[in-house]
Amino acid sequence: MDIDTASHDSVTAVTVKGRVDSTTADRLRDHLTGVIQAGSARLVIDLKEVTYISSAGFRTLLITARSVENAKGKLALCGVGGEVKRLFDIASFTELFTILPNRDDAVAAAGA
Amino acid sequence: MKRPPDLIYGVDERPPLAVTLFNGVQHVGVIAINLIYPLVIFKMAGAPVATVIELLSVGLVVLGIGAFLQSSRRSPVGCGFMCPTTFTATYFSASALAVKTGGLPLLFGMTLFAGLFEIAISRTLSRLRAFLPTELSGLVVFMIGITAGIAGVRTLYGADAPPMRGDEWLVAASTLSIMVALNVWGTGPAKMLCALIGLAVGYAAAAIADLFDAGQMASLAAAPWMALPTLQHAAWSFDLSLAVTFAIASVAAAMKAVGTIAMCQRMNDAEWTRPEPRSVTRGVLGDGITTALAGLAGSVGTNTSTPSVGIAAATGAASRHVAYAVGAIFILLGVMPKVAALLAIMPRAVMAAGLLFAACFIIINGLQVMTSRLLDIRRTITIGLAIVAGSAVDIFPAIASGAPAALAPLVASSLAFATIIALTLNLIFRIGVKKTVALKVERDSVGSVNISDFLRENGAKWGARPEIISRASFAANQLVEAVAENCWAAGELTLEASFDEFNLILHASYPGAPMIFPDKRPTDQEIIEADDGMSRLAGFMLRHNADRIRSESKGALAHIWFHFDH
Repeated sequence: MDIDTASHDSVTAVTVKGRVDSTTADRLRDHLTGVIQAGSARLVIDLKEVTYISSAGFRTLLITARSVENAKGKLALCGVGGEVKRLFDIASFTELFTILPNRDDAVAAAGA
Repeated sequence: MKRPPDLIYGVDERPPLAVTLFNGVQHVGVIAINLIYPLVIFKMAGAPVATVIELLSVGLVVLGIGAFLQSSRRSPVGCGFMCPTTFTATYFSASALAVKTGGLPLLFGMTLFAGLFEIAISRTLSRLRAFLPTELSGLVVFMIGITAGIAGVRTLYGADAPPMRGDEWLVAASTLSIMVALNVWGTGPAKMLCALIGLAVGYAAAAIADLFDAGQMASLAAAPWMALPTLQHAAWSFDLSLAVTFAIASVAAAMKAVGTIAMCQRMNDAEWTRPEPRSVTRGVLGDGITTALAGLAGSVGTNTSTPSVGIAAATGAASRHVAYAVGAIFILLGVMPKVAALLAIMPRAVMAAGLLFAACFIIINGLQVMTSRLLDIRRTITIGLAIVAGSAVDIFPAIASGAPAALAPLVASSLAFATIIALTLNLIFRIGVKKTVALKVERDSVGSVNISDFLRENGAKWGARPEIISRASFAANQLVEAVAENCWAAGELTLEASFDEFNLILHASYPGAPMIFPDKRPTDQEIIEADDGMSRLAGFMLRHNADRIRSESKGALAHIWFHFDH
């Protein structure tokens, strides 16, 4: 799994690539927690290049959502399509997160 | 069964009379374009205009009977849905061969045979699925499209065709342009009836260009407004050497009917997951009976109308009463020889444009079906060689003329030849393809073993649907991950995947405690805080990812089976 981070004014966009499973989820969680603790609680997570996400990955997203909420920030997801979208639906997470079709919309939503 | 939100009139509902009639006319308009197939075939047979008028009238009545037969709820045959009947390109190549070989009697006799063959296979179609994989159905549809397109060009440039006049080009171009323009940029009824409007414009252009000769106009004038069609031209003969060609077309028609009936089922049920076999079997039976009836009465092969069912899906009017209206209108048109006469004098430039237009959609539909499966090297070679072989027969007629007499009818038809090549290669390439494959996973290699590649590679050998392999991949990955975290004590985990066209079964066994697959998702708080929260989420997802799931413990081993309907 690879993680890229970019800033868009007040919003930090984290792009995740590859598999988010039990062997990689902790690293993603630590990275996201670090971003939030560094004061960037307006967060976009771009999952467009994620090939697989397991329950461990979903747990990381839940923990991140809670951290963002505690920091009075905003979290938006984008790039949720295909197989990943199907897994969001199966796990009943589609309604739980703010999911936007593209990164620009997600940045706008997290920055508002 | 759940009503889809877009459905306005379900199969059992009765719309107001005006709505029923309007929709009926619309469907007749869409189906009417396919009258071009019998028309071209009858002209190939060299039938005089008066005979063509008689035969088209008979065909219209057969379409009407087919609509009633297929849609009736009380009849022991027919799928029971709004599923009208149409003439089809599926029998085009075989019919052309029949009229060339033995004229109209052989065409009618072989059409009757094809109908009886479809009746015979209607109950065994599902058992033949392993020998008729989906990509081969796509290949058949693709070759039907190619045949129809080439037939269009052949009406203008075939060896027997008179030289083209310059104004015929203009008529063909304007007909095709109108069809394409309305289809691409049109909306509502103009888009839906683009082919019919194009034909009307083509007739007008042909009249301006003076393409109708005096004999044709006299036939049109002489045709009565109302008269019962007669069966005076119905005569039958049989040629064993054409049996395989017609049988292949019959199987193709049956497979297309299965797809169309599945569309009907899905249109009426938002919770539809797979074809309901009873209405499919009865529908294929009805399809075969209508084709047999067409052969008996003196017409060409028929099939369920996919575009018509598509229109029903688009308009939300899926009531069987609409199909009854379609049937009644066709029977009415069948007793109006003036209408058949107008069709019978269709100029070849208009006919060619209609065939080319129809061919586009058939070819793309075939391509989509072919690529809906994972294709490994065996399937790639099968499809590729079959297409080349089929096309070569059309491009180089010398291949057929040089073939042994017994094989000549097969080689002369691009559709039959391509299908035979594909069926043969499919059988040969089954050698060495294991139905069950296994992968051993060590506990300390979780995350590094590429389970997805293992399933994808074997899925391509089996010709499995990509979405089913995706679901199985998730099941295997998530299971291995979850049991490694919670249940898998030590030793190896064995993952077995079995495939048989109808099912993909994934069987995992490992030393350790069985995994739990809860029906209720753990709360967000439980997922984050509870020790077993993540494991329960994994179990919940796995349960809802597969169509069925079973687990048990045998001795020290835990076994889990994930069942995916294919």
